Amino acid sequence: MASVAQGQQASLQGGVSRTVDAWLAEAEAHVQSERFDAAEEIVSRVLEAHPAYAPALHQAAILAHRRKQPQMALHWLEKAIVSAPDQPIFHRNICELYRSQGRLEEAVIHGRKAVALAPEDAGAHYNLGVIHYDRMEIDEAIACARHALSLQPDMAAAHFELAEALLLNGVFEEGWREYEWRFDLPNSPSLLPHKGKTLWDGKAMPDGTLLLIGDQGFGDTIQFCRYVSEVAKLCPNLIMACSSEMRPIVAQQNGIVHYADRWEEVPAFDAYCPLSGLPRLFGTDLQSIPAPVPYVHAEASLVAKWRKRLEALIPRGFRTVGIVWAGRPTHGNDLNRSMSLRKLAPLSALEQTVLVSLQMGPAAAQAADYYGRAPLINLGAEIVDFTDTMAILEILDHVVAVDTSIVHLAGAMGRPVSVLLPFAPDWRWLRDRSDSPWYPTVELFRQAFPADWSGPVASVAARLRLATR
Amino acid sequence: MNRLQPNFCACGSGLSALRCCQADLQNFASTPSSRHLLPLVDEAISRHANGALKEAEALCLEVLELAPGQGGALAVLYQIRKAEAAMVAAEVLVKRLVSLDPNNIWATQELALLLFGRGHLAEAEGHARNAVRIAPTDPVSHNLMGMILTEMNRPQVGEFHYRRALELLGHRQPILLANLAWNLKNQGKMAESRALYEESVGLDPSILQTLLGWARMEETDRDFARADALLDQAEAMAPGHPSIWLHRAVVRGRTKHYDEALAILDRIALSSSGTGLGTNEMLEKGRLLDKMGRFDEAFEAFSGGKRLNVEQGGPVYMAAHATQLVERLKAYFTSSRLRIVPRATTLENNPKPIFILGFPRSGTTMVEQTLSAHPKVSAGDELTFVSDVADLMPRMLNSPLTYPEALADLWMGDQCEGLNNLRDYYLQRVKQLGIVEPGATRFTDKMPLNETHLGLIALMFPDAPLIHVLRHPLDIVLSVYSNHLTHGFYCANQLETIAQHYVLVMDLVAHYRREMTLKYLAVRYEDIVEDQEPNVRQILAFADLPFDKGCLKFHENKRYARTASYAQVTEQLYDKSRYRYRHYLKHLAPVIPILEPTIARLGYSIDG
Repeated sequence: MASVAQGQQASLQGGVSRTVDAWLAEAEAHVQSERFDAAEEIVSRVLEAHPAYAPALHQAAILAHRRKQPQMALHWLEKAIVSAPDQPIFHRNICELYRSQGRLEEAVIHGRKAVALAPEDAGAHYNLGVIHYDRMEIDEAIACARHALSLQPDMAAAHFELAEALLLNGVFEEGWREYEWRFDLPNSPSLLPHKGKTLWDGKAMPDGTLLLIGDQGFGDTIQFCRYVSEVAKLCPNLIMACSSEMRPIVAQQNGIVHYADRWEEVPAFDAYCPLSGLPRLFGTDLQSIPAPVPYVHAEASLVAKWRKRLEALIPRGFRTVGIVWAGRPTHGNDLNRSMSLRKLAPLSALEQTVLVSLQMGPAAAQAADYYGRAPLINLGAEIVDFTDTMAILEILDHVVAVDTSIVHLAGAMGRPVSVLLPFAPDWRWLRDRSDSPWYPTVELFRQAFPADWSGPVASVAARLRLATR
Repeated sequence: MNRLQPNFCACGSGLSALRCCQADLQNFASTPSSRHLLPLVDEAISRHANGALKEAEALCLEVLELAPGQGGALAVLYQIRKAEAAMVAAEVLVKRLVSLDPNNIWATQELALLLFGRGHLAEAEGHARNAVRIAPTDPVSHNLMGMILTEMNRPQVGEFHYRRALELLGHRQPILLANLAWNLKNQGKMAESRALYEESVGLDPSILQTLLGWARMEETDRDFARADALLDQAEAMAPGHPSIWLHRAVVRGRTKHYDEALAILDRIALSSSGTGLGTNEMLEKGRLLDKMGRFDEAFEAFSGGKRLNVEQGGPVYMAAHATQLVERLKAYFTSSRLRIVPRATTLENNPKPIFILGFPRSGTTMVEQTLSAHPKVSAGDELTFVSDVADLMPRMLNSPLTYPEALADLWMGDQCEGLNNLRDYYLQRVKQLGIVEPGATRFTDKMPLNETHLGLIALMFPDAPLIHVLRHPLDIVLSVYSNHLTHGFYCANQLETIAQHYVLVMDLVAHYRREMTLKYLAVRYEDIVEDQEPNVRQILAFADLPFDKGCLKFHENKRYARTASYAQVTEQLYDKSRYRYRHYLKHLAPVIPILEPTIARLGYSIDG
């Protein structure tokens, strides 16, 4: 057990004699400095000498976790819990590991145990709340987040968790407020390099210059750029700072006087505001979501070019269904929101249909292993940027996609799109509904069970099959 | 003076190596100083003509040791070695004659014929073309072109040369007529072929080869009784000739009299004075045993046939060459590069190609027969033109590089329309063949392994349907093993090399599909067999063709499919070829680890 080995002398390297805990402390220091091999050597020697020493097992789990070996991390942590069943930190850590692997049943058991063992630990409540969100127990998630905040009021992660749960429930006013904590999250990049600038309060600035910042991912930028023209009515001197990829979309919005995709190109300004802060400033609630769809349009010359290309590629009389099955792999929730192309198999049984892959990034390679019945045209290989994507979306009959930027783009263009959502979706898709007040042409297909795509994919296939009749 | 024992050349010419293969060709040129040897040469020619071969040989060797480039002596020695069936030495000697005097028509024709006989068709073609260049009115040169191009599956060009040979000859020479008949059979023109065979045999009924060719033609045309009658006629002429028996066995096999066919093959084996069956006979025996359900014996026969082929100097898999080509293609065809490579445009009023892709024995012939049963589609069969374009590309694009790197010249101002020129070359060759029938707007190209050049095809024909026929990889490997095939860098002699090449090509296809936007449809042989109509409808629709019921009865398509599959595609769809590998699992064990990942990727499994 844990106490047996403490204070023992363990000679791990020739001629040097230290306590086991001193060795583990050194291993911990190596882990912190990402000297994983050095840490591994120490931990494995300690475990060789003391195979059931819980702190060593825990250290081995942390090391495996840092090395992105979740199965190995679970293996060590499970052993640590056998050695020291009442150590709260072990339960707090293992519940998050189980959650990240989609093992929500085990996660919630250990999450509750962690809270029971350490009721004053805000982190334990927060972890349990995240698990409840993933289990779509949103009221419990809200309660856990509030409990964590009662113990640690400045815990940004708990505020953000609370925001996501409230927004998902359609409780926008408090949700937007809590959502502002996103910039205080650990490892959150700073919004802008300038110091001492004023955050815009949403009031008219007829003479001042306002800088709007495309602060989140592509999807958020496309979703929130609908507010730009309204902002411009309040602040005619409107500067937009956003990535170059988003320029062809954001620059279509009325009222931008200057667009910069590099900080050094940003002229002087008086106040700033992230795009994702606009719903709060405009007091958006479920009834007042602005949906001026379409607010993004494809370029006519590119539409003509791609129409010609698609006419050459698609047999006459075939319906075209664009597909995207994976998002950016570095996205925090990618495990849940992305799938493999193979899971879209029911779509390949559609008659007189060509699947058009718009997939970009590493997942696009899966198109090479598609041997389904409906032909698949890997158009992603020829797409250069979002201007191409917009032109193609204009032409395709339908799009089926997981929750990625393409959904927002098609939605903003008013194109028909079926969205495949994970069991616990992002807050913007709300709950228990198949439509989206943000995008009128979007239809939502939700997982009925965590990680189970078969239901929503079958429903989309059935819908498309019906549409051909 | 002591004579040094000469170090004989390894080629078997009988000359010393320093006077043969190790010598510099430049030193061979005849010089005036060797004039004093001419009486010896005349003597050798005379002795040879009189059948005194030993003396003729000794004289030639003596002359050539002193004057290695003496043409007369080389010619006589070549004929002696050829008669002895010392084919390596014969080839060396006649090649030397041609190198020393490229305008020597006799030597050029001999060399082309010898290379043809050894199966080196591409090399033979080059010399046959030279023969036509040197002697355009010599019927022998045209007959050679006819034989070689017919064998290279360009029968239309072959037909041209046979007809020219007949015209130049001025009379109906029976062998030439039989050659032309064989050519026409290969084009599926059975009635014309039959008439020519009748004419040939009428002129000279004593030529065994003509009767055998005719019997084969009748067998192909499914007139088995006529084939049998012809073989009876041949038997009367040359009783017990193994070739007659082999043909008979093939006919028995096609009429499903497997026992009889097998008994004939066993008779051939017994009568061949201890040498046993040849490669083709053994493979035929294996296929018969397979049909009879005697799978272990069948596999033993396949293995024996393949082993014999290798022992007899048959070509072996060019692994390094194949791998290097695939690596270069992968390095060139990348999405980032292809985004800035221009594509050829589409000629609207021209017949358009449909590419049927697939490893040999995957079912491409069946798909071609299906498509070409459509009134709008003509069968192109195995067109060599994509490979030809790849070979010609450096010249056509004026590039110092080879294919595929030569495509970099498309970025030059004077070559930016180069792909249109390559496309036009391909279409021109198709037009020359005359394969597109009246009323047809499409033609098929089912050259096996054209998928190796999928990238080039998609650049030349960006909107051409690419129909890739898939079949269980173990069935493909087994089927290739049970047939004599030269496709795929000669991979067919060993199970392992077939599997290696298959994986290499499938990985390349995956690369193309990852990096390029292709008008690509994968169809499974097994699906077509199991549920024909929806799959045929799908293929036709993908090729922008309206459904035609005739396509479901492809076995009634009178067109003769030239490839090894011809006997199968004239039968209705049947299940036996699906998952045949299950009977051979233990024999296929060595290749399962090689194929397993690809089997899984394609969505197949391995069932016992």
